[in-house]
Amino acid sequence: MSLKLKKILVGLSCLLLPLMAAASSVYETQAEFVERAFSGSPPEPRVVWLSGERKLAVQQMLGHDYAALRLRYWCQAQRSAWILDEIGKELPITVGVIINSDYIESLRVLTYRENRGGEVSTPAFTDQFYGVALDDDGALNAAIDGISGATLSVHALTRLANMALFLHSDTECKIGT
Amino acid sequence: MVPKSKRTSVTRRWHRFFGAGSAIFVVFLVVTGLLLNHSHSLTLDQKRVSNPLLLAWYGLGSPEKLKHFAVASNWLSFTGTRVYLNGSAVTNVAEGVGAVSSGGMFIAASGAELLLLDKAGNLVERQPWGPPGAGPIDALGQLENGVVVVRSGEQLWLADAEMLTWQLSDGPVNSPSWSFPGTAPDALRQAVIEQYRGHGLSLERMLLDIHSGRIFGTAGVIIYDLFALALGFLAISGLILWLRGRRNVRRNGRFKEQ
Repeated sequence: MSLKLKKILVGLSCLLLPLMAAASSVYETQAEFVERAFSGSPPEPRVVWLSGERKLAVQQMLGHDYAALRLRYWCQAQRSAWILDEIGKELPITVGVIINSDYIESLRVLTYRENRGGEVSTPAFTDQFYGVALDDDGALNAAIDGISGATLSVHALTRLANMALFLHSDTECKIGT
Repeated sequence: MVPKSKRTSVTRRWHRFFGAGSAIFVVFLVVTGLLLNHSHSLTLDQKRVSNPLLLAWYGLGSPEKLKHFAVASNWLSFTGTRVYLNGSAVTNVAEGVGAVSSGGMFIAASGAELLLLDKAGNLVERQPWGPPGAGPIDALGQLENGVVVVRSGEQLWLADAEMLTWQLSDGPVNSPSWSFPGTAPDALRQAVIEQYRGHGLSLERMLLDIHSGRIFGTAGVIIYDLFALALGFLAISGLILWLRGRRNVRRNGRFKEQ
């Protein structure tokens, strides 16, 4: 192989490396998220099973069954932290949601696996969820602005925000126990 | 200027060269084209290719890292990308390191996560492995009292009864029974491999790729392009030779009349 060709190949590989790295982005590990949610002293995890009416409610929110039968969450004094997965286009997006009383205190993308639409991980988008609660119909009480080219990811995050608020209200964490 | 007879001779030579060179290719195209035209009535679209070399050529070979773990009269199989319970696909997971049964659930481990499955194969929970200070999972096992244990480097981590939290063992642990891959029955192994390959490769698809040259990748397509150009040249050179021949016949006829 000629030296010139080798140089071209090395150059192309360097250009492609950032693209390959962008294929799956971990913004925060699940352990880091839980630590952050409770200022370094997380409570023991609890479990909520998706069965019966709860399962049906979640199914209605997502438009399909959730990928697991049980979910772990962390709760302390009416604050709860949830780690949820939902498929954007083809791959699951892992999201960490912190609920305080009955509104969203923080929503952050922990892992984004799709090649396109990663803009939903930016604070410019996720900060829209701050203060959002459920209305009387069980839907989000605020409109979330979309991102062009990331519509499916935006919808996935909106569904997960709805789900986290519902699960919080459906557990004992709501009354602080 | 090149004399007419010389030009005709050059064209004829090239015509002969391309004609002879493309003959086998044309016959090949005719046969595959005819088969493709009648693929439905010949049920070629339903016949599957089973030759392992051809399947491997299409990237549909057997999984490279197929492992089976016997768990409470069941088999959990890992293909490197997916886990199967008794031959039925459950969910995606990387290469498996072990599987055990505890608390009415199956626990399957890869190096980076644990999967909790119910007895029907539904995913109960996907647990990313990451207690502070722990490396990747090297082995999964059970103590005599049923407690699930993970070996990570020199460390042993013990699960609670609900499989929610993991505690680093601070003392010696009585010989855990580690999960090792076993030899699954042939039928189960075949079932997993077939699912891994999906619906496989139809004879019609393979013929189509042979007909278009795509079976040999980009190089095949380019070679077929060259043959197609040769066929185009044959058509034009044949026409030129025919026209020249006809003109010569007419001229010769007039010459005889004079």
